[in-house]
Amino acid sequence: MSLLSVRGVTKRFGGVVANRDVSFEVTPGELVGVIGPNGAGKSTLFEIITGFYRPDSGEVHLDGTRLTGLTPDRVCRLGVARTFQKLRPFPGLSVLENVVVGALTRTPDVRHAREQAREILGRVGLGDKADAHARALSTGQRKRLELARALATRPRLLLLDEVTGGVDQGSIPGLVRLIRELHQGGLTVLVIEHNMRVITAVAQRILALYLGEVIADGPPEIVARDRRVVEAYLGQTYAQ
Amino acid sequence: MEAIPQLAISTILLGGIYALIAVGLTLIFGVMRVVNFAHGEFVMLGMYLAFWAFALLALNPYVVLAAALPVFFVTGLASYRLVMRPVVRESHYVQIFTTVGLSIALQNLALVLWTGDFRFVRSEAASVAVRLGGTAFNLAQVIAFAASVAFTAALFAFMRWSYTGKVMRATAQDRQAAALMGIDTDRVYALTWTIGIVCVGVAGVLLAPLYPVYPTAGLQFVLIAYVVVVLGGLGDMVGALLGSLMVAAVEVGGSYVIGTAWKEVLYLLLFIGILLVRPAGLFGQRGAEQLGT
Amino acid sequence: MGRWAAAAGFFGLAALVPLGVRDAFLLDALILILLWGSTSAGWNIAGGYAGQISLGHAAFFGLGAYSAALLGTRWGVSPWIALLVGALLSTVAGLVIGYLSNRLRGPYFVLATIAFTQVLLIVASRWRGFTQGSEGIPVPFRPGFWTLGIAGKAAWVYLILGLAVLLYLVGQYLERSRWGYQLAAVREDEDAALSLGVPARRLKVLAIAASAALTAACGTLWAQYVGFVDPFYVFSVDLSVRFALASIIGGIGTALGPFLGSLLITTLETYLRARFGGAGAGLVGIYLIIYGCALVLVVRFVPQGLVGWLGERLRRRGVAEARS
Repeated sequence: MSLLSVRGVTKRFGGVVANRDVSFEVTPGELVGVIGPNGAGKSTLFEIITGFYRPDSGEVHLDGTRLTGLTPDRVCRLGVARTFQKLRPFPGLSVLENVVVGALTRTPDVRHAREQAREILGRVGLGDKADAHARALSTGQRKRLELARALATRPRLLLLDEVTGGVDQGSIPGLVRLIRELHQGGLTVLVIEHNMRVITAVAQRILALYLGEVIADGPPEIVARDRRVVEAYLGQTYAQ
Repeated sequence: MEAIPQLAISTILLGGIYALIAVGLTLIFGVMRVVNFAHGEFVMLGMYLAFWAFALLALNPYVVLAAALPVFFVTGLASYRLVMRPVVRESHYVQIFTTVGLSIALQNLALVLWTGDFRFVRSEAASVAVRLGGTAFNLAQVIAFAASVAFTAALFAFMRWSYTGKVMRATAQDRQAAALMGIDTDRVYALTWTIGIVCVGVAGVLLAPLYPVYPTAGLQFVLIAYVVVVLGGLGDMVGALLGSLMVAAVEVGGSYVIGTAWKEVLYLLLFIGILLVRPAGLFGQRGAEQLGT
Repeated sequence: MGRWAAAAGFFGLAALVPLGVRDAFLLDALILILLWGSTSAGWNIAGGYAGQISLGHAAFFGLGAYSAALLGTRWGVSPWIALLVGALLSTVAGLVIGYLSNRLRGPYFVLATIAFTQVLLIVASRWRGFTQGSEGIPVPFRPGFWTLGIAGKAAWVYLILGLAVLLYLVGQYLERSRWGYQLAAVREDEDAALSLGVPARRLKVLAIAASAALTAACGTLWAQYVGFVDPFYVFSVDLSVRFALASIIGGIGTALGPFLGSLLITTLETYLRARFGGAGAGLVGIYLIIYGCALVLVVRFVPQGLVGWLGERLRRRGVAEARS
């Protein structure tokens, strides 16, 4: 039984097809990487899974429950958490308060939520920043904060949009380690990532998108050598 | 039925004046992403300019029109420098209350300086009837319309063909890209704001012979301008022209059918309806009202 | 603890005033400080905590005021019932406006709220047969608690103080509770809040409806206290701005802020009225000019208001003392 099932999802923006007949399954405990050049439709796919966009056709199911047509907050309460490509911490709240908002989705008790939030901040390595303003954090720390916030909603499936984008080289190994730990703890993860070295290091399986379509789906070493994937990337390099 | 030509021409005359007020508002929103809640106060200042020139110097409002350009250019630039420049890049919250604060301060400055009395500009033009076919209008209305149209047309030409106008449109489309292309966005904003203020100031001068002048006189016009601008799509200048005609039609038709006392309710309901059904305006992109927030 | 102490000091002091002060002018000022503070605290629920900036809250205030006036004059209904009716009407209006706010953000929402108030103003000022039109309508004075015909200023102080404390506690609840966190998240970034499972739309609608109902309650009591309802006053944009202003100056999105803001602006207004008494329109103009300028300056230089500014100073001093 798969945890996430995406079937025949198509999304158009005016004349542009952002996703064309995208289908794939994610089994519980998997860590799947999503790759593709800019404009391949990766982020659109995430927005559709999390309920921010409605597909023109096709459906998304989580463990048999239909997500398509639900609002993003319902999708989250059913167990799908996400981070944003362009980071969106609540700038006026403290780091702890940011995470408390996530925790309150599972518990009505504020004190309980604060305890949980502290514990999660410790886990992502922000324990000493709990009282800082979210806007005072570095990009790497903000990525961790978004992750902590998402984890606080106790997801069954975590969608990460560009974990290492915009982060300085020194912070990347720590973030990779963190994702590995979460995965080893039993969480199912779907991650968009541009850095091929990172993705081959963490993912068990890679889904390659190009011009809105799935062009490869399989183990990293095979996808990385796939002729269409190589062409998609090279084509973009030449274009630039 | 014989009323129809009269109503149609009234609509066009009124729409032309509304357009001049609305175009400034929509220009400022389009380029700066600021809704100017003090817009009506500059109409009011224009009306007082016409009134005092008339009362103290016995100047005809149409002569004052020439002086209004530099006066409002300076007023616009000064209000931009003092009030708007520091908040152009701030949140909606700050911008809303900055222009609201400016509105209250200007309104009451007028109240303290010139009292709340209704004042009237007696222009000979207002008592001259112009006959068009089977219909009659007073000359002041026709002049206001003609001047508004000329002014609006000049603004459109400026936006379309001048280099500066193109720069302003580029900034409206994408302020970050514009800044990256080496456009001095601060100057563009200063100019946009100033042009918007000159438009309403001139509109105020033109309206003075037609309506009583008092400190909150701007409110009625600016409410109409909001309706027009939302109808046409905030930031859309052609939409503002069409919106002006539509609101004028509703107002003229409404006063004819149900009487002048309730005509405002009609366009306010139209406004709320549009906000509910198509908040981006009749001609705008759906969802635009949620962007930039 | 500091904030509880500040609130206890503020409201406690207000409770002590009538024991020592008999001067009607001062008691009147105190009642108005508490009343405008309460109304602003009502606005603050939508405008501050939920970030739904309305410049149309006068509509709810006016609904409350007209409920008292019309129900009292036409059917002799008790103002307490009128208070409930006004609150109910405003809740419905708030739900509609709240629905609008789900689709409209920022300036569009502000425009919608202004338009709504303007519609009510036109109805109230033109429907002569029912509302007595633009002349306004007196609120009947019938002695007794049930009819809120209270002549003693001291009694009014305690009545309005009760209202103020209630609104303070609502604010306090919103600062500390699950709702408070979730509303703050919606205010800061609605999409991010949604992604964390916060039911943003429902919360916004509820916040606006609650805000509307409490504002209407303030309107009813105000009408009963003042004894006269003028449509051009209760449905004016200026009044809506006044509600917002007290919160902004005092500290938007804080429980005590609206009351501190009201203390400042109402005192200023009362002082000017006493100093230049009877100067009429010119006087109103002067303090409104000051309001306008204060608004521009505060949002720019002290966006977190008095409470935020004081809190920041105290924290800094605390840190400095801890270090030395």
